[in-house]
Amino acid sequence: MRLGKWIAIIFLLGIFAFLVPAIASDHGVAATHDTEHGSTHGAEHAVAETGHGDAGHGGHVNLGEVLKLWSCIPFACMLLSIALFPLLAPKFWHHHFGKVSAFWAACLGIPFLIAYKSTAVHEILHIILADYVPFIILLWALYTISGGILLKGTLRGTPIVNTIMILIGTVLASWMGTTGAAMLLIRPFLKANSYRKNRTFMVVFFIFLVANIGGSLTPLGDPPLFLGFLHGVSFFWTMKIMPHMLVTAGILLAIYFVLDTYHYKKEGLTAAPVEEGEKEPLKLVGTHNFIFLGGVVASVLISGIVDWGEINTLGIHRAVQDWARDGFLILMGILSLVTTSKRIHEDNDFSWFPIVEVAYLFIGIFITMVPCLLILKAGLKGEMAFLIAAVKEPMHYFWVTGTLSGFLDNAPTYLTFFNTALGAFYPGMPEAQAVPLLMTESSIFLKAISAGAVFFGSFSYIGNAPNFMVRSIAEEGGTPMPSFFGYILKYSLVFLFPTFVVVTLIFF
Amino acid sequence: MEFKKILFPTKFRELAFNSLESILELKKAGLKEVVLTYIIPRDEVAFVPYGGYMKDEEERLREQARIRFENWQEAISAEGIESKIRIEVGNPVPKLLRIAEEEKVDLIIAGRKKRTVLGKVYVGSHTLELIRRSTVPVLVSKYMVRFEWEGDLITRVNDRLFTAPLLATDWSEPSEKALGLVSSFKELADKVMVTHIIGVKISKGLDKSELNRIEKESKERLEEYCDRLKKDGINAEPHLFSGRSAHEIVRVAREHKASMIVMGTTGKDRFKEFWLGSVSHRVTESSELPVLLVP
Repeated sequence: MRLGKWIAIIFLLGIFAFLVPAIASDHGVAATHDTEHGSTHGAEHAVAETGHGDAGHGGHVNLGEVLKLWSCIPFACMLLSIALFPLLAPKFWHHHFGKVSAFWAACLGIPFLIAYKSTAVHEILHIILADYVPFIILLWALYTISGGILLKGTLRGTPIVNTIMILIGTVLASWMGTTGAAMLLIRPFLKANSYRKNRTFMVVFFIFLVANIGGSLTPLGDPPLFLGFLHGVSFFWTMKIMPHMLVTAGILLAIYFVLDTYHYKKEGLTAAPVEEGEKEPLKLVGTHNFIFLGGVVASVLISGIVDWGEINTLGIHRAVQDWARDGFLILMGILSLVTTSKRIHEDNDFSWFPIVEVAYLFIGIFITMVPCLLILKAGLKGEMAFLIAAVKEPMHYFWVTGTLSGFLDNAPTYLTFFNTALGAFYPGMPEAQAVPLLMTESSIFLKAISAGAVFFGSFSYIGNAPNFMVRSIAEEGGTPMPSFFGYILKYSLVFLFPTFVVVTLIFF
Repeated sequence: MEFKKILFPTKFRELAFNSLESILELKKAGLKEVVLTYIIPRDEVAFVPYGGYMKDEEERLREQARIRFENWQEAISAEGIESKIRIEVGNPVPKLLRIAEEEKVDLIIAGRKKRTVLGKVYVGSHTLELIRRSTVPVLVSKYMVRFEWEGDLITRVNDRLFTAPLLATDWSEPSEKALGLVSSFKELADKVMVTHIIGVKISKGLDKSELNRIEKESKERLEEYCDRLKKDGINAEPHLFSGRSAHEIVRVAREHKASMIVMGTTGKDRFKEFWLGSVSHRVTESSELPVLLVP
């Protein structure tokens, strides 16, 4: 057996040796706590075991009150793996990311199951069925459907054309997802600018706007907002971020136009037409996929409006309309695959690999984040009281959610601070009651969290999944892209940071 | 019709060079240029989760392939054949089809599956997709295969592909084209076995007189095919059998010591083909011999 495998095994055993007693000792505290608050916890625990976890949001509170910060280590390690492996060992990471994800999930899952048995089973199943499954299904559906739409033809990337393309992408992102909009437009965008010398800044601004900021208006736009929707934030509430989005996108588009014009003139280019022989008229093919995209929008919207009762799946109560939505999204994806010509997928260089990656990584993220969410939901009674106490003002939520979203994936970060806000303002209150209050009486905080998660997703390559897809396609096509730190130092800090300061001054 | 320019894609598996050497015989049939192709699967270098694209890895793979190909080019050049190298990143099958179109090749060479279940399937999904979609002939080369015959485990080296081709015809237009191609093997083939199988579906339920008529007509057509080959200076012999087409073709090729099987592919009835597989695809999958498929 190779040395690396021995090191991995020893490391794994070390983690277990460290986590099992830590979590088990928490369990001891829980027993004491049970005695102190016997009636409440007893009732809630029964709720958890009989699968009414959602109905009794407070049922998770006790676990959140007794869990130690130790239990968040696998979550932190999972996110650090995402942040560091691509930088330090990209080849290893590319071939073994699934194993790394499974490893951290096991590091949390096994000791957690040993310590809390059926309650742990319930918590893990709950996050998988209520969060992970619909999350992945939506991403899959949007990715599949948008992969069937292709923009063909000859475009010449002048400053005006480029700005319009980014603007269109920004608008589309909220309706076909940032991933969908980015995948639809990045290749035509690169092709239109293949004659330009300096293309790097163009792709960076494309990431800023199409792959992130544009997705802030609906739950379909960006994964964090869909997670909010799954937790009760209504579909159109997200439209309340429109002023924030317009200011941010307006500033960035204006900067982009100025930059592009400067480089265009510097390169000594003119807007002369492309030679006749090379010209191919602009054409959008696979447009029938917009019908399926409409189906996705409608099904998500309807699932947030109707109430068809609940269904018990593996002890987890989920709304019938949620299952129906997930089924319909799968149907839309399949119909898109069946009805779209293979040639369109090939011309789009469509591959399942990116979505499989996201599915593998996010199962690890969701499982490892269970204790973290429970502790945060416990509010000031949990071990993260210091965080809740420190994050008070809307601008705190905007910047803390944002900064962490920039360097960790923004979906789990959103959920973390969404729960922080629930814990801070409505500790112990069932989610079904707390979220509407958060949307109304504390809406500025939810706006700060939502805008922070979505906007700052563009701060680094690892902030949001489409960022790395766009980078990969650009580099493959010969556009040099800045390094991880180069991106932050040359672009994010220079253009995004001041823009977000302006957003803070105006709105938070 | 001649094979003047061929596309030789490879994944650099073992015996790939030997397979190439065996194809160079086609010089006698008019081969002028070989396009050596290596497709770096996009998923190998792109979409590193949260990392982007491994440009260094792509460069490494390109360099590695280029060095190997340059070595191969010496052997090709020694045969008096020209060659060029194309190394690209992408999805293998669509990329190969596009290169074949751009280079206007007359033939694509496809390799056999890396691991085979003994005596079962010799081609993988990529090769099958290539066969289904290619508009130019595809030769599935199968340089070395192991198979079971009458209880014995046999290793076969298919290094003299063109000495005794078996042309399996169903009288379709692609079969006619295949006949034209076989005619170009004049300098390579000792003999061609022109074979037709009266399929079970055709013979089922027919009375004896009708069967006799079909048999007579098939014999005449076979003779006609043979005459055409003989006119081109190739020794040809007719073989008529009945039964399950794919099974019979594989059996006859084996028993008559054919060096390869040549068939036309109609590509008709894609739905049926998807579920059941066409005769040509089943022969390609199950025969231990190289198979040349002509669309």
